[in-house]
Amino acid sequence: MREHNIVVTFLKKNQLMLVSLALALLSLHLALTDKRTGAHGTLANEILSIAFSPLQRVILGTHDAVTGVWSDYIYLVQAQEENTTLKRALAAMNEENNRLKEEVNLDSRLKEVLKYREGAGFKTIAASVSGYHADRWTRTINIDKGAKDGISKDLAVITPLGVLGMVIEVNGHTSKVLLDTDTRSNIDVIVQRTRVRGVAEGNGGSALVLKYIQQEQADDVRIGDTLLTSGLTGIFPKGLAIGEVSKIEQSPDSFFKSIEVRPATDINNVEEVLVVTDPGLSSN
Amino acid sequence: MSALIIFLPLTFLYLILKSTLFSSLPVPDLPLLIVFYMAYRKPSIEGVALAFLLGYIDDAFSGGVIGSTSFSLIFIYAATRLSSGKVQFSTPFVRAGGAGIAEFIKGLIMYAVLRLTGLNVHFSGWVFLDSVITAVFAPAIITLFTRLTSLTGRDAFKDNAN
Repeated sequence: MREHNIVVTFLKKNQLMLVSLALALLSLHLALTDKRTGAHGTLANEILSIAFSPLQRVILGTHDAVTGVWSDYIYLVQAQEENTTLKRALAAMNEENNRLKEEVNLDSRLKEVLKYREGAGFKTIAASVSGYHADRWTRTINIDKGAKDGISKDLAVITPLGVLGMVIEVNGHTSKVLLDTDTRSNIDVIVQRTRVRGVAEGNGGSALVLKYIQQEQADDVRIGDTLLTSGLTGIFPKGLAIGEVSKIEQSPDSFFKSIEVRPATDINNVEEVLVVTDPGLSSN
Repeated sequence: MSALIIFLPLTFLYLILKSTLFSSLPVPDLPLLIVFYMAYRKPSIEGVALAFLLGYIDDAFSGGVIGSTSFSLIFIYAATRLSSGKVQFSTPFVRAGGAGIAEFIKGLIMYAVLRLTGLNVHFSGWVFLDSVITAVFAPAIITLFTRLTSLTGRDAFKDNAN
């Protein structure tokens, strides 16, 4: 009985420390078992996706509209104070103009995406970007298509300019895409000019690093060389652009060269993407 | 429970804005500031649980490695709790300094955990920038937290609890 009391007293006295330790160990366990697959947190992600994806889309849409109005309308308001009526009419026209411009832009972008899609030779689903996550340790985006639209995990995500990343998590109506610049991303590639194979790995910033090529072959890589997908992993169709070699440095503490690659697709300019649902139809 | 009611919606709003309007701007680390605030005010199981939950939500929302932010925030909670016995986080300057150091330590822990998982991450200057930005905004945001929590009128958020 006395021992029981001692244990209870110890637990009560140190409960904060014990709970902290337990939660810290749980967190560490989750981190160590979830580095690439995103297998945990499905329920949490589903709830977050349902609750916040519509809000993200509304905010992004409103932001684009307000930005357009700000640049065209507010400036005119300051310049033409004496003519309120005209100003309002002009503002309304500007707003309408902005809306139309947005529609024309969207139309033009969608046409480009569709044109690429028709000539691509593999099956794709078009989706819009609904959120960007460019943290220090994470590079992902959200798209507005999910399991109910035919999206599944490990599908390639591309744009007409090249590869963007890979689906790592799928919810009902949204999905999360791991960008090729994330450190968890590894894509089997070939150098277009020399046909040398390697792996393009995200550097966690805004670029990729070309790895796992032999030293003598690395010597032959030049700035400006284009990297293409090799098509060997079965995820990415063969021949899609990954990026362009932008920097080659001899590491001071290593025998190997550090080859930096600028991604083919600038994530800041991406609003629509294509998810490759069947890469097997390509000619690889 | 009152902490959850106040800080959970605030964190959701922060994460939504961070992934849309402020996706390309450096912003103060709100989950860290919440954990820092909870830790130096009063030790509680709720505070530790909130640290875990906010970290989990942050990772789930941003597609990061689940558990990495939780681990770092729990560590920050414990470290702040321990240091609050020696440092009084009562002035804006001390709060800013404390939050900045906490953000820097969080960056170090994130780096260590991600390296432990086998990822080839790099410890970059961004961690310093994040620390500075979090430190600059910390006094104002903590004042906001104080006002928000005072609205609940609960003992758990007494101003002089420290």
